[in-house]
Amino acid sequence: MEHKLAPIRKGLLEFLVLKIVGARRVYVPDILRRLADTEFATQEGTLYPLLSKLRREELVMYEWKESDAGPPRKYYRLTEAGKAQLAALDQYWNRINGTIAAIGH
Amino acid sequence: MKRISVTVSLNRNMLQFDEAAYARLEQYLAESASLLEGDPDPQEILNDLEQAVADQCTRRMAAGQTIVTPAQLEPALAEIGAVQVPNGATASEPLAREPGPDAARPLRQISEGAVISGVCQGIARYFALDVTLLRVIAVLLLLGTGGGMIPVYLALMLLMPYAPLETGGKPLRWLPARSRRFVEFLRAKLGVERTGNIPA
Repeated sequence: MEHKLAPIRKGLLEFLVLKIVGARRVYVPDILRRLADTEFATQEGTLYPLLSKLRREELVMYEWKESDAGPPRKYYRLTEAGKAQLAALDQYWNRINGTIAAIGH
Repeated sequence: MKRISVTVSLNRNMLQFDEAAYARLEQYLAESASLLEGDPDPQEILNDLEQAVADQCTRRMAAGQTIVTPAQLEPALAEIGAVQVPNGATASEPLAREPGPDAARPLRQISEGAVISGVCQGIARYFALDVTLLRVIAVLLLLGTGGGMIPVYLALMLLMPYAPLETGGKPLRWLPARSRRFVEFLRAKLGVERTGNIPA
């Protein structure tokens, strides 16, 4: 069963990361913590390449912020294109959810 | 004389590593770099990972400890995890399923879409190979052996169980339908198992 569920989660991770970044400005440990107790628990090794891809697609951007310890941290937020894509994904997700609930009855 | 530690600059964080930890870190970063091959911006991700390693190791060091050992590095790397390339980031997507036998794909003839009986389709599914490739090989073997493949195919047809038919699926083509009925008739005559139900 797991081999069928894993691709679903993998496909949805990008959507969830956009949602988290869209809710407020975050840095990577915030995202990891937010997902830790969910089905979508993930690791930095997965998240950094994903955020890099989203930045290249101009859906997220980051700014450097000073931290108390160590070098400055990257704080991520959505761009206008990112907000638009999140809204579109949200809408699409609601639609397929409706389809899944309605079909087979 | 023995070298005790190596000074490492991880995304501009200076840290001391012992030899074993240094070797492991080198290996992890080299693996990450090779996984990111084809990514248009690997350096940014590698810098982020270096920062993560520095943070995780520092957090795990005891008060007064100055040298990172595998005792800090191993759990740090386990928490960071191997690099996973996101969907659509590179041209070379990994195969959706690993080639090779798999309990979820037992060796069965597949009647739907078959040319003769479904042997090639069954073997192709079992090994996660392209069925066209298998058919080409079968035809080449048929020609190359001067027809010697025919008894082999017939034997496989009789021996390989059939995958259950898809309920409500499209009707089978003429030949696969006849083959299946014929084989099932023969098996019934010989008193052997008639269809292969996929084990739960």
